[in-house]
Amino acid sequence: MDLKLKLVQTVHKLLKPTGRGGSFPGVLALKLDPEMLTKFRMPGIVVLVTGTNGKTTTSNLIAESLRKAGLNTINNRRGDNLNVGITTLLASNCDSHYNVQADAAVIEVDELTVFRQFDNLHPTHLVVTNFFRDQLDRAGEMETIIRKIQAVTENFEGHLILNGDDPNVVRIADTAKKAQINFFSVGKNKVSRKTTDEASEGKFCPRCGHPLIYDYYQYSHIGRFSCKRDGFGEITPETLVTKVDYENASFTCDNKVFHSFINTIYAIYNCAAVVTVLKTLNLNTDAADAVFRSFVLKEGRNEVFELSKPCVINLVKNPTGANEVMKYILGQPGDKNVCIFLNDNDQDGHDVSWIWDAHFERLNIPEVKTIVCSGLRAYDMALRLKYEGLEDRIIVIEDASKAVDWLDQADMNSHIIATYTALHSTRAILRKKARK
Amino acid sequence: MNLKILWIYNDLMDLYGDKGNAEVLRVRCEKRGIACEIDKKSIGDEIDISDYDLFFMGGGADREQGLIYRDLLARKRSIVKAMEEKTAFLLICGGYQLFGKYYKDQDGEVVDGLGIFDYYTESTDRDHRCIGNIAVEVTMDGETFKAVGFENHGGQTKNVSASLGKVLYGHGNAFNCGEEGFLNDQVLATYMHGPLLPKNPKIADLLIKRALKKRYGDVTLEPLDDTMEDQAREVMLKRLKV
Repeated sequence: MDLKLKLVQTVHKLLKPTGRGGSFPGVLALKLDPEMLTKFRMPGIVVLVTGTNGKTTTSNLIAESLRKAGLNTINNRRGDNLNVGITTLLASNCDSHYNVQADAAVIEVDELTVFRQFDNLHPTHLVVTNFFRDQLDRAGEMETIIRKIQAVTENFEGHLILNGDDPNVVRIADTAKKAQINFFSVGKNKVSRKTTDEASEGKFCPRCGHPLIYDYYQYSHIGRFSCKRDGFGEITPETLVTKVDYENASFTCDNKVFHSFINTIYAIYNCAAVVTVLKTLNLNTDAADAVFRSFVLKEGRNEVFELSKPCVINLVKNPTGANEVMKYILGQPGDKNVCIFLNDNDQDGHDVSWIWDAHFERLNIPEVKTIVCSGLRAYDMALRLKYEGLEDRIIVIEDASKAVDWLDQADMNSHIIATYTALHSTRAILRKKARK
Repeated sequence: MNLKILWIYNDLMDLYGDKGNAEVLRVRCEKRGIACEIDKKSIGDEIDISDYDLFFMGGGADREQGLIYRDLLARKRSIVKAMEEKTAFLLICGGYQLFGKYYKDQDGEVVDGLGIFDYYTESTDRDHRCIGNIAVEVTMDGETFKAVGFENHGGQTKNVSASLGKVLYGHGNAFNCGEEGFLNDQVLATYMHGPLLPKNPKIADLLIKRALKKRYGDVTLEPLDDTMEDQAREVMLKRLKV
């Protein structure tokens, strides 16, 4: 019986009904015992999910699929992916002797800190979604992140579930000699392109420095690539999506049709990762399909609020995410206003220069009537658009509430793009102003 | 009038939105009826740098820097010729470093620089970098004004004979160094990303004037409406309390 653990569990139980159970118990736990994370006896299945984009969605899809397949599964579903959130999850789901009470734990882990938690969590599976340029002021250089993950997986004997179409991720397979490597990959489809203006990574072979050749790009630097000199990237995927049918929101792999729940290319990669995890556990992939059909996206992912006309809000964290959200917005028919909330708090990244790497010039189409720039760095966003020739369509309203009022009064369909800290405050405003 | 810009290694040295600099130069020329041609060139391309009015090179991660430096060194003669023929230079971060004597990276690997200037750069370990918003009092071509940017560099650049300006907030060439960048009559080198030019239109215009000088002598530029640029800069200056 551990009194510190007991105290944390009690606090969690008390706070849970108030909705504040997410981080405080973990903060308390680590204050009482900084080494608590090393003490848990983990379940037989521990799936860690990391990468730049799609961590929360992918880990939630995996957790739901395991539950659907009959496993008692715990996961940090709200994306509390640092030490504190993970400690809260484990402390609130174990007995008084640190035995985690579950068949499986699915844990989203921040890609910058995963190297620290990796050994403590005794993973059986590590899923890596992708590596894009993201919050460089926080991350330093991508090279550093990849090397650190390579270092902790060097002696890993479990399953590595890797995006086989991202050269930054495939690199991990080169150094993880003892692991069981399972790639997922998506074949050529309607959105695949021979060339790209989106890729800022994946230009050279990490083994020999020779240029990588792409048969096609899906989005950003994700695509089918290989090095013609040493064969880097010539993979045999465990899961290959052979067909994507956007009209019917489905995709096919292993001769089986699955529902495509957001119906975008990046979400199909998330789904392929989920299917791969189930296969390595010898579970029926029907469970995954059932989840894809019923899954409700997390807050701020294509979330709709009923202002005078519908307003869709999306989180963006980096150029790749912003590009994909813009593709979605421009794919929606009819005239629209767009509102961009750009903050530069800790969780957003202090460096806003990434907006120059995203293709905001795509908003320069007649259907986009007005672009409202808001948030702490509203003027930086406005300048970005000004230099794309959108000067006449920009309004700067720094105050978020006034910006939402403007959208409401404009009486036109609208799309909000918000960085992490702006998302939460803006959703609160939208909740107040939306007609039920 | 027309302005010819060489944007070298745009495909590799393009970290932290530095492409915004090229965009700003182009738009500010075109608004004044000055045709602006931006040539993007990279490893192995044949270039006579003195054909251009402005040479622009951005920053890259160590890996990219390692890929381009041999190609850059092989162009030393062309660069010196362009300097003699009054081409203007804008060098950001990695570009800045490689014009000095050498660059020692985080793993202790030494990469030779062009050695055109006497400064040199040494990195500390991977976990210590100069990161954050920066404000600098710039003195350039007879004008003194405040500029803002975002710095993010492990390299500590020392032995800089003449800086771009005095640091009002942030680090500059090295940890708490007080001086930022390098400046002479032809070359502006800096760690300021952000990118540099959108929020600092005065620097953009002075660069355009320097570049036009090569073929047209001293030119007066028509003023543009910079209300939005000034507001973006003021937001940051106010926050940094400088």
